[in-house]
Amino acid sequence: MIRSITAPDPKQAPASGCFPGIDYDQNPEVWAKAAGRAVYGTDLKMPGMLYGKILRSPCPHARIKKIDTAAAEAMPGVRAVLTGEGLGCKPFGIVVDDELPLAVDRVRYIGDEVACVAAVDLQTAERAVQSIRVEYEELPAVFSPAEALEENAPQLHRDFPGNVAWQRNISRGDSEAAFREADHVVENTFTVPAVHPTYLEPISCVAESDRCDGLVLHTALQSPDSVRAIVAKVLELPLSRVRVIGPVMGGGFGGRVYGNLKLYILSSLLAMKTGWPVKMQLTREEEFTVGRPMIAAELKMKMALRSDGTILAREAEIITDNGAYSAQAPWVSNTISERNDSVYRIPAVKTGVRLVYTNKVPTGQYRAYGNQAANFATESLIDMAAKKLGIDPLDLRLKNCIREGDVSVHGLQINRCALDECLKAAAKKIGWDRKKAGRGYGLSAAIHANGSLIFNKKFRGAAAQARLELDGRVTVFTGEQDYGQGAHAAFARIAAKALGLNPDLITVQSRDTMHSPYSLGALAMRQTTIGGKAVQLAAENLKEKIVQLAVSLSGEPATMENGVVRGSSGMVFDLAAIAYDYHSQTSGLSLLGEGKYVPEKSDYDDSGYGNISVTYSFAAHAAEVEIDRDTGALTVHRIVAAHDSGRIVNQVSARGQVYGGITQGLGMSCYEGYLFETGRVANASLADYKIPTALDIPEIEEIFIENEDPAGPYGAKGLGEIVMVPVLGAIANAVADAAGEWVTDLPITAEKIYQAMAGWECQ
Amino acid sequence: MSYLYPSSLEEALGILRDGSGRARVIAGATDIFLQRLPHSLVDLTALPALSGIKEESGLITIGAAVTHSQAAASPVILAGAQALAEGCARVGSPQIRNAGTLGGNIVNAAPAADAAVALAALGARARIVDIKGLTREEAVEDLYRTHNRSLVDSSSEILVELIIKSCGINEGSAFTRFAARNALALPLVNAAAAVKVENGLVKEARLVVAPVKPAPTRLQRAEEMLIGMPVNRETRLAVEKAAASEVEVRSSLLRCSARYRLHLVGVLVGRALETAAQRAQQRKRGNDS
Repeated sequence: MIRSITAPDPKQAPASGCFPGIDYDQNPEVWAKAAGRAVYGTDLKMPGMLYGKILRSPCPHARIKKIDTAAAEAMPGVRAVLTGEGLGCKPFGIVVDDELPLAVDRVRYIGDEVACVAAVDLQTAERAVQSIRVEYEELPAVFSPAEALEENAPQLHRDFPGNVAWQRNISRGDSEAAFREADHVVENTFTVPAVHPTYLEPISCVAESDRCDGLVLHTALQSPDSVRAIVAKVLELPLSRVRVIGPVMGGGFGGRVYGNLKLYILSSLLAMKTGWPVKMQLTREEEFTVGRPMIAAELKMKMALRSDGTILAREAEIITDNGAYSAQAPWVSNTISERNDSVYRIPAVKTGVRLVYTNKVPTGQYRAYGNQAANFATESLIDMAAKKLGIDPLDLRLKNCIREGDVSVHGLQINRCALDECLKAAAKKIGWDRKKAGRGYGLSAAIHANGSLIFNKKFRGAAAQARLELDGRVTVFTGEQDYGQGAHAAFARIAAKALGLNPDLITVQSRDTMHSPYSLGALAMRQTTIGGKAVQLAAENLKEKIVQLAVSLSGEPATMENGVVRGSSGMVFDLAAIAYDYHSQTSGLSLLGEGKYVPEKSDYDDSGYGNISVTYSFAAHAAEVEIDRDTGALTVHRIVAAHDSGRIVNQVSARGQVYGGITQGLGMSCYEGYLFETGRVANASLADYKIPTALDIPEIEEIFIENEDPAGPYGAKGLGEIVMVPVLGAIANAVADAAGEWVTDLPITAEKIYQAMAGWECQ
Repeated sequence: MSYLYPSSLEEALGILRDGSGRARVIAGATDIFLQRLPHSLVDLTALPALSGIKEESGLITIGAAVTHSQAAASPVILAGAQALAEGCARVGSPQIRNAGTLGGNIVNAAPAADAAVALAALGARARIVDIKGLTREEAVEDLYRTHNRSLVDSSSEILVELIIKSCGINEGSAFTRFAARNALALPLVNAAAAVKVENGLVKEARLVVAPVKPAPTRLQRAEEMLIGMPVNRETRLAVEKAAASEVEVRSSLLRCSARYRLHLVGVLVGRALETAAQRAQQRKRGNDS
């Protein structure tokens, strides 16, 4: 029996502080999802639609000698077969241009795209792909950065000698002197495997191509405008002839900022060749083997301190494992290399980071962009220092943590910051002063940027439109994406507050690049802060225009308060009437408020010093764990999450973000990680790539320190990516507290804990 | 493909006979639906002969189509075969336990099947009928051909029921399991113990561990060593050592190193033994009072 799903009783539901409406009732899409009515990309079907399938390399590194597609082309039901040879596409990429839609002469990992087929049904497409014969000449391959960096190692890309895709050296202050003068030095090496965002819905795309509409991609993306630009460039189409329409997104977590570019480009090429819509969808196995996990990293790190606990300097040598192609890995490597340095007042920093090609799955990004990997290393190191110095880890953090008004070692301007309060609140709630026997406790602190001033130095902000409809309702157009995190519900609420209306009267639209303002998209925790501020400005602009129109209609001064437009004589104007009047006067135009949030230019210089974001969110987490000493089995009992994300727009959504982020942080801490066997992903299924289940989740207690931040709308700022960041350090330190030994290699499994406690040599 | 739903054992055997090897029996189908499906499937879940749990004169009979959920909640099994209730309660997830059956858990022949490990420790025997009408009875642990291949031919044989001696005075059983997460994870090691303890000394013992071989594996040396020993910490440590010394395990990239698995074998067998012995002694006290 199917029960109908309805919203909880509004009378029982909470409301968030200064915002109108009821928290539970803010996201109509939630109810469609819960009832199974939401239409995801995987659900899409179109008249005449063909199914596309990709032939992938079985070799980690090989030269393609010959491809024979005759059998596939002769197969009934096959409409098109493509190989790399005839495409004539130029190399493309997100940061580095090192990919082609289909391999031309070489394959560089198991899964590399070699050919593709469009056929009348999926089974035919699969059979056709299997019938393609490829002759490979195997080449020596490299499966780790260490192998790839050896002097005579096989070279993956001609343009990147030594297999280094990207590198950076950062030096601030005099770290050498600091290490010379330090009372104590702690150091260690930390390793983090590649991890997949594991969104519930595998990536799919339906591409349509015709003379009227140009190329239309139906696919759910966090940054549709960025993908649209890359697809247009690769296919050499005018930008205005490429349109992206998003169905409902089954999770993204950073993995759908760019999604799977190969899939979009190949389905487009097949649609352009056949003239019919072509659907392509990754299987779960493909998600793991050719999707874009976040890079694996090795962080060799050391820290110099005075005896009183003052941090003097930090040095790090970081190597990140790019896989065969680059995607966003350079940017993620950059975040790993420096973001964590701004959590504390560190006068001197010296860091080298190298991103290295290997014959493995190419990498991309995941929620928190590597900040969590660095958190694991640096926060573990801080607890190691606390132990060595005999200082309480809380006191050591409070002594050094960054504070309001600071400029961090990399030039980040910390205008609003309640990190010290977060640390105190998290410690208090976990019971830092009354620890239970047999349990381990750990703390960790984090910073994360809210949007980027340097991602595109010219384009730093966001724009939105608010249109008064003929019935008096308001439609907000934004390019910012809702992928389940509740961005659109937050926008409705922000617009509602600006206009004094009930949020029910506001609809938010963003899923079509033809109609939405251009946007950088749902990345870098910019939705609420940057996108939300643009919505606030658009709604305020609409309000001004409504009042102006009322003035010109009545010839008397007018105001708009609590959604009611009133002339000085007491006359009340109906919003629908105002909309209709404007519409008639202008023969069909709508009253449109426009908002543009253009943050000031950054002083960011060529050395990478300077402010990178309009503002920053902060968090401190505390974990309580227990270890079975016979087996090393770990139980994470509680995690307290104290967050300074400014004013909370919706308590219910905010809590959801915290629960989700902690679950993913726990996954990365204790469960997840790619395993490879000579370049092949050995755990390419949800049975073997273990994410935590409901039975593995600890009790989660959230604390919001609502430190209003003028940079965002009504004092609000981001609470997406940052939640995942401090989880790793908090759990690692709690494990060390319980076990007496650190596990410095993620994930922290029972076996590794037992090995550390038993003093076994590492495997 | 055809999907057949017989209502009696005779009808089911008739279908298999007519299918001449191309029809295959299924029950919960939690594993076979992940594989390539055969020509025809014969669903056994409606057969009265394969359903129900009953206890008569000290013997518990469990229909092969009884689900893990039913077994885990059965008062008869909770009282008379505690290790089995515990093993069944830990399989997969609620959805899998609601569909997957005890017969399937054995015939699917996975090396670390939780119910099968508990059944082997409890000395369960499986009653099997074939298309010629012949009936045989085998110990559960003797039904394995090789990894994931059963000696029960599901195109010509039907495992009808499982028979266990109900736990008596001075007897107790227990099941333990160690996995990478709390649901939906195959165990790194699982173990079960069934013991009889008289006057503080072990009289009978069956210790079973998996996955070390294709079948749930009896630890015969540890069992022999236990006879006549007092139930205490020294005995447990000796059993842990003996258990780890009489099995061979391999390292697995996806699970764990051989060294750690061997360590877990010892710990888990020791824990199962300790709990089973406690229960045996409680049963005695319960009867005395």
